[in-house]
Amino acid sequence: MIPLTVIGGFLGAGKTTLVNHLLRVADKRFGVLVNDFGAINIDAALIASRDGGTIALTNGCVCCEIGSDLGAGLTALAARVPAIEHAIVEASGVSDPWRIAQLALVEPGFSLEPILVVADAEALPGQVADRWIADTVIGQIQAADRIILNKAETGTDAAHAILRDLRPGVPVTETTMGAIDPDLPLFDAPPFDAPPFDTPSGRFRADSPVTHDFPRLLFVPPGPFDRARLRAVLAGLPRSVLRIKGFCALGPEAAPMLLQYAAGQWALTPAPGSAPGLVVIGTPDMPAPEAMVTLLTSALQTTFRSRND
Amino acid sequence: MSSVIRVFRAARILTVNASLPAATHVAVRDGRILGFGGAEIVDAFGPAELDDRFAAATIVPGFVEGHGHAADGLMWRNPYVGYFPRFAPDGTRHEGLRSIAEVVARLRAAEAAMTDPDAPLIAWGFDPIYFEGPRMTRADLDAVSSRRMIVVAHVSGHILNVNGAVLERAGFTEDSNLDGLVRDAAGMLTGELCGPAVMGRATRVAGDAGLARTLDVPALRDFARLTRRVGVTTCTDLSNALTDETVAAQRTATAADDFPLRLVPAMRTREYSVADGIARISVLRRLNTEKLRYGIAKVTVDGSIQGFTARMRWPGYHNGAPNGMWYVAPSELGGIVEAYHRAGVQLHIHTNGDEASELATEMIGRALAAHPRPDHRHTLQHCQMADEAIFRRMRALGMGVNLFANHVFYWGEQHRALTMGPTRASRLDACGMALQVGLPLAIHSDTPVTPVDPLFTMWCAVNRVTAAGTVLGRQERITPVQALRAVTLGPAWTLHMDDCIGSIDVGKFADFAVLDRDPLTSDPMSIRDIRVLATISGGTVFPNA
Repeated sequence: MIPLTVIGGFLGAGKTTLVNHLLRVADKRFGVLVNDFGAINIDAALIASRDGGTIALTNGCVCCEIGSDLGAGLTALAARVPAIEHAIVEASGVSDPWRIAQLALVEPGFSLEPILVVADAEALPGQVADRWIADTVIGQIQAADRIILNKAETGTDAAHAILRDLRPGVPVTETTMGAIDPDLPLFDAPPFDAPPFDTPSGRFRADSPVTHDFPRLLFVPPGPFDRARLRAVLAGLPRSVLRIKGFCALGPEAAPMLLQYAAGQWALTPAPGSAPGLVVIGTPDMPAPEAMVTLLTSALQTTFRSRND
Repeated sequence: MSSVIRVFRAARILTVNASLPAATHVAVRDGRILGFGGAEIVDAFGPAELDDRFAAATIVPGFVEGHGHAADGLMWRNPYVGYFPRFAPDGTRHEGLRSIAEVVARLRAAEAAMTDPDAPLIAWGFDPIYFEGPRMTRADLDAVSSRRMIVVAHVSGHILNVNGAVLERAGFTEDSNLDGLVRDAAGMLTGELCGPAVMGRATRVAGDAGLARTLDVPALRDFARLTRRVGVTTCTDLSNALTDETVAAQRTATAADDFPLRLVPAMRTREYSVADGIARISVLRRLNTEKLRYGIAKVTVDGSIQGFTARMRWPGYHNGAPNGMWYVAPSELGGIVEAYHRAGVQLHIHTNGDEASELATEMIGRALAAHPRPDHRHTLQHCQMADEAIFRRMRALGMGVNLFANHVFYWGEQHRALTMGPTRASRLDACGMALQVGLPLAIHSDTPVTPVDPLFTMWCAVNRVTAAGTVLGRQERITPVQALRAVTLGPAWTLHMDDCIGSIDVGKFADFAVLDRDPLTSDPMSIRDIRVLATISGGTVFPNA
């Protein structure tokens, strides 16, 4: 699966600057879908070829214009040779980044990484008070998994207060000129390194919340989930749980499935031959690992639970 | 061109020309109007052929559809499953379907006629709002075929119904919980899909046949057959990317002598950067002919009211739905308007909600303050919920309006009950108010959203009767004289073409609609039943078979 990051944020916040930066410093093959192709500004020396709405870079990255059909654009991106390692979609300045992120739940082959929303530290206080644009800007920020506070050199206290109010709990990364760490568009770097340990109801492992912006938990379901129970558990998760992704078995037939959960929605698609293991990612306010394990365990089929008890 | 003078005689010629509003004869030479009046003009310009075949009919200026989409010419390659009867380009009347059983029967017939077993069956125009009983489900469509993928697109554009084959290929399982996957009371997927993510996935899986194709010459010819049948001699294609491929098709189609339509495409601004868009229009303008006219640009500000994506001012949607979407940000709109305005381009701005209309008017006001330009005629399209203050400001700024009069009939009841509530719904597409403040007025169909038929559009504006038979906003009704102008000279003005079309006057194109009776003296409730006997484009007669 190709990790997919959506970059949202209002016009002028610095999304394109950030994309330009990522393309320049990339240490992996980013495939980027951008809104304003004309604003992509790459040194001529870095450009390997240019073909209509596509620029191929010497470092293996590729940058394409978003056509009228974003889903088709993603499919084309996934089909590129050599394969891209990470897809990035730059949302338009007025769109709700969550609407785009939903595509990663329905398009096979993509796994939804954090929604990055770029905010302009200087303009934000004015934007959230503006009659015409406030609801658009606020909606974007509320969809964020990580906020990139750009133009931080102008002072950020007022902006931080607004962000805490609108989207409490998610990490805020200050930057200037969009110069972010190229690992920020991922939830998962660095990978888990400690072995999991067993609990009576399965195996789990939790990251320390202090070492990462996003506390994570690995849960290995010891048996199939019950359909109705799983639905109830997923539907009741707090917003501090940002993602669940991985494999599980489902129903009496123990059908192997791929689960992707984000913001109260989830896709369960058949994934034959996969070994179970779910990664839960959240904000620091996410329920404690033991509570999460208890919650997920309660969604297992009774037969399996009793066998473990 | 021949220099033969032909004089058409009619029982009555309504000229939409204040200096001589009614006549019985009109003389045509070289595709243009040479003169008009009574019998005395037959020989007034030299030897003439008298054409008597419309002697019992009424001739009016060729209708101008100021907001249509040529994509209508593509739709008929797929089965139509709408609630209201509709005419195909070949003149076939497709009856409206009044129940799910009738829809299923038509799909069965279409399925049986398909030769490729793997081709998807894609139908359009589905409109279940007036159906009683349960909604259509995947079981209904599985009964047509469980193997072939079936997609039924709703007329609103915001919902698809699909069968199990599509759900399976799209990977939509019962266990998923995605926005837009509709379920029944037992939690099972009904096959109804709403919202761009799941609709886009299903469309891609089924192939986009019928839902997103590029205009070609046969489609444009089919479109012109649709417009010709209803007396339209000039029609916009109001929002087109205008790629080289499309432009080539438009040039080829309109160059044919038997093409009965003047086509006015508007460039979709969001396909281009502002500088590229302005450059594109100036290149295209050099290709203009008498039948193909480039030069206007379209900007879409918000969505639709019935889709709850239009931007409304306080108190918002009557049913409490959250406010709609900006398709272009307010701050960005100002930049686009100013740049195109400065470059001398005329803008046609789609605004449905009153907040969008207010914003667009404000931005045009700012552009004008910075760069005064007389007679710009920037026009708001749809502008369905504007109030009197917005109309007054538009008037003061020299703008025009093209109201979606057909909406009153098709969705008036929904606006009253759901979207706008009883008070605001009465000012939906307020033609009366627009004329009262002196705003240049056009009315439109937005075909294929509703069928192109200016006599029907006139009927809507004159009577304001909904599909349920009640009157919505009695005070906003306009007279037949005003309505005739709003489908002829009114839209011609909004296209900066009132010098050559829209009324009967010397030197204008000889574009006429020939009607079986006079719409100004007929019972207003019968205007929609008036038949178009022929359409005359540049003096050439195209009879309706």
